[in-house]
Formats: sequence, structure tokens, C-alpha cells
Amino acid sequence: MIDVVRQCLPRAGSLVSVMVLASVVPVGQAADVMPAMRVAKATRPELGSSAIFAPDGSLLAVAKQGEHVMIYRSSDEGRTWSPPAVVNAQPEAISADGENRPKIAFAADGGLLVSWTHPFPKPNTGAIRLARADDGQNFSAPQTVHRDPAEITHRFESLLPLPDNRVILAWIDKRDLEAAKANKNAWRGAGIYAAVSTDGGRSFQPEYKLADHSCECCRVTSARDRDGAPLFMWRHVFEPNERDHALARLKSDGSVDSIQRATFERWKVDGCPHHGPSLAVDEHGVRHAVWFNQKDGEGRVHYGRWLPGDEIRIEGQRTVGGSRAAHADLAVAADKVLIAWKEFDGEGTQLRTLFSGDGGKSFVERTLAATDGASDQPRVIRHQARLFVFWRTAAESFRVFAQP
Amino acid sequence: MKPALLALPALIFAAVVQAAEPTPLDRSMASQLADPARHRQPTVVALWSLDCSHCKKNLQILSDLAKKHRRLRVLTVAAEVATAEHQPLLTRFALSGPAYAYGNDSPESLAYALDSGWAGELPRTFLYDGKGGQRKVSGVLSAIDIERATGLR
Repeated sequence: MIDVVRQCLPRAGSLVSVMVLASVVPVGQAADVMPAMRVAKATRPELGSSAIFAPDGSLLAVAKQGEHVMIYRSSDEGRTWSPPAVVNAQPEAISADGENRPKIAFAADGGLLVSWTHPFPKPNTGAIRLARADDGQNFSAPQTVHRDPAEITHRFESLLPLPDNRVILAWIDKRDLEAAKANKNAWRGAGIYAAVSTDGGRSFQPEYKLADHSCECCRVTSARDRDGAPLFMWRHVFEPNERDHALARLKSDGSVDSIQRATFERWKVDGCPHHGPSLAVDEHGVRHAVWFNQKDGEGRVHYGRWLPGDEIRIEGQRTVGGSRAAHADLAVAADKVLIAWKEFDGEGTQLRTLFSGDGGKSFVERTLAATDGASDQPRVIRHQARLFVFWRTAAESFRVFAQP
Repeated sequence: MKPALLALPALIFAAVVQAAEPTPLDRSMASQLADPARHRQPTVVALWSLDCSHCKKNLQILSDLAKKHRRLRVLTVAAEVATAEHQPLLTRFALSGPAYAYGNDSPESLAYALDSGWAGELPRTFLYDGKGGQRKVSGVLSAIDIERATGLR
């Protein structure tokens, strides 16, 4: 069916064609349709999506469709979805494959925020974009959250709203690497920059540097600490080339309170893991994380938690899934911890979970679903005291699994 | 000024060594590429992607080695669906060996068929000595390591 639609489709871009398309193709699949010029070749499955529960319990998902971010709504926890609405009225290129995806969040004043990376024509370059809907429906024109207009890497943003209506985004930024290259100086990795809004994402203050020497193309993650302080976590390049993770805690003005090494597998590689971490903080202030690292020559997903306090000490570290476990995510609700990941078994890709009801001390493993084709990374999302796994597959589109 | 300077060598190479447009890879081709018995001469299969800056360093080292050793075959696999940017980049590195990019099979199944011990990190390089010996390594390699693993040193 997709092929038929693809051949009938005029070049993507017009709002009308996008809306018509969305009404005839099942949700999720619609977003794969590419311009007709790609018909003869393999098509890139740009499945990167995010989901969040609104305060009223409706589920919202964002995904790419051509040159638009589209927003989908479900009032029955993902069993059925509304026809999508357009976030960016003016078409633009959007990153939504691999470690890239549009993100969605609510500002403290109730405004709905959607962010994405807009890639420039030159490979590995882009700008961080953010659109806001005051009423949750009608989006303002997206703005670039940084002042730097250079055609360089500003990609892999993480979007974090804070209780006082501030919004912080942090992303991988190569301006210092580019400056070093121009001066023929060696530079390790990339960098992390951030921008702060004090008005719920309507406007942003000039961006600033959080850290030098991040890894180049792994997703960045964020969470609120128990006291509301912003936490960001990313894969870092510790000297000389150890690709472990850094955890940054920011002060209320967005400046750095502390940046610490948070994982210790010491994976030495001059390469791109394409495997970013995920972080969640429970009500006791315990920070739970999943990350991927090679240890003793074997690449594995790891889970661990850090107790509240200034010192980084990992407790309860364990491997997650089997030798092909990949792209784990997690969320917490009271003492519940839910980890989801995907794992290829030689024939298909399984969606699997580890669930803990005791704050991560013990876990039960389950297989939730499988798919034969391409799939997005799974996301674990929360609604009040309940946890859900959201997974988009090329064949089955959006799927939502409630943790019993 | 700088782009013009960069374009000039690329044009010269283009006249001499035009990289092939990547062939879409399926699971069975991926298994064959990874089969040491199918490589009867020193061969490198280099996995890379446009996103991966370290891959370009690796491709440059392979490019230099391919000029130095005429027996060395360098095959490339873009671990992503082909785009218009792949061929010019391979041409820039004067890599004229067979070039592949991910086809319509799911990325996970292609990755598994290429190397069940690989988690997607790039560059990933398969080294064959042409006599059944093989090594699979992540990260940028040194010329000496490549020469040793392919039996050229």
C-alpha cells in the first residue's frame, strides 16, 4: 500500500498533500512516505518519534512526515490515533533517524513544546529548532534556539522543561572543534552547548557552553533532579579516547554546578558508537540510567543508579538483555523502574523490558512485541503512577504497551 | 576560496577513479561479504556512514594503502540507505572498489548478517588475508594493523 501511495504522491512539501496522505494511510506509516524520486532506491526509514502524556491523560506523539513534524493524539492510550496536525507550517528538513527524533514536552505554564534538529545540506550539520503552542494546538513558527548561524553541527538536542517555567535545551555542538580545525589544532570529540528560556520556550537567552569533548553523535538525555535542578547526561570522550558518560548538574540560572564522570567501562575507541544514554530520577533522588558501552571487548547495555549526593557511586549495575540488546530507555514512577530496549534475534527485532517494583533492586524480564522490519528506538513514558512503552515500527506504526 | 581548492583534486580523481554508485545491500549479499572463504586476496570491508567523522579518517588510511598495495581490495559498506552524498565522498577518497549501502532489508538484519558481534559503532572494519583469516575491528585503524591483518606485512 505504501508503494502505491508513494507513486501517487506529488513531491512532499505542500500542507494539503500531507494532510490528504495522512487520511488514507495508517498513522505512523504515513510518515515514511518519501518524494517520488526515491521510489527506485531503498528508502531510509526515518522512524524517530517521541510521545508524552498530556495532563488530561491524552497521549501525544510527534514524528516526521516529509518536511513536517506532525503531532498525533490518542485519547485511549494509543489504541487509536487522530489524524495528525502540522507543527511547522513552513516545510523544512527534519532529522528523525537513528539517534535523532523530534521531542515533545510541556512547559510549566501548560504550553506544548516540540523540538527537532533541522539538518543543513552539508552532512552532519544542523540547527536546533523549537515550536510552542500556547493552547496545545496551534504552534507558533519554530525558532532556532541558538544564535550561532554557522553551517556546523548543532544536533541531538535534549529538551527539558523546569517547574519555574524555564526551558533548557542542550545539544552536541562542534563550533569549538571547527575553530580548532581552522587553526590546525587537534580537538577531542565535540562539545555540549545549552540555551535557557525563562518564559516557557517563547524566547531564549544566548547559548553557552556546558562542556568540551563530548562524543560526536550519540543522543543526549536529561532529567530533573529531586530538587528540580536540571541534569544532562551524554557520552563523553575522556582522555585519551575513553567513551564513557558525563553527568552534569546545573544551577538554577543554567550554569554548571558540577560535571562528573558517571560510567567507568573505559571503552577506548576512535569511533562513533551511535548509542546514547537515558536518565530518570525517582522521588528519593536516586538517579537511574541505562547506557551502552563496550566492556572487556563486548558491547552491552548497562543499567545502574547513583545515590543522591555530590559523589558519583554506581549502585546495582547490571547488564540489560543479551548480546544484541540496543537503544534502551527507562522511566521511573515511585519505586517502579521500567527499562525497554530492542534486541535482534537473528530473524526479527524484539521489544523487551525489565521491570522493577523495588527501586531497581530486582527486575523481571519480559518480551512485549516483535517486528520483522525496521523500527525506532523504544521510549518509556509515564502517566501519573503508570509506566508505558511507546514503540514505532515500520510495519505496525505506533504501539503502546502499559506496564501491568 | 577553500571549497575551490578542495574541489580541484576531487575533479582530477574523478577523471581517474570514479567511485561506483553504492549497490543496495540485502541480507544474502551481506553474509557473502562477511564470509572469509569468499575473499581470495587481501581484502578490507570498511563499514562507514556519512555521520561518522572517524570513518573518514579510516577511509583515508585505506585509500592510501590501496594506492600502496595493488593487491589490496577495499570494499565499502555505508551502514545506511544510499544518498546522493555517498558516491562523491568515495570518489574523494579514490576508493573505486565495490561500494554498497543498506538496501530495503531492516537495518538490524543487515547488521546481523554482516557481523553478529557488532553493535553499530563505526567505523567497523573487516580484514581478510585471502587465506581464510579474518579480523573485525571497531574504530580507526593504523596502516600497520591493516597490513598485518591482511597479510601484506
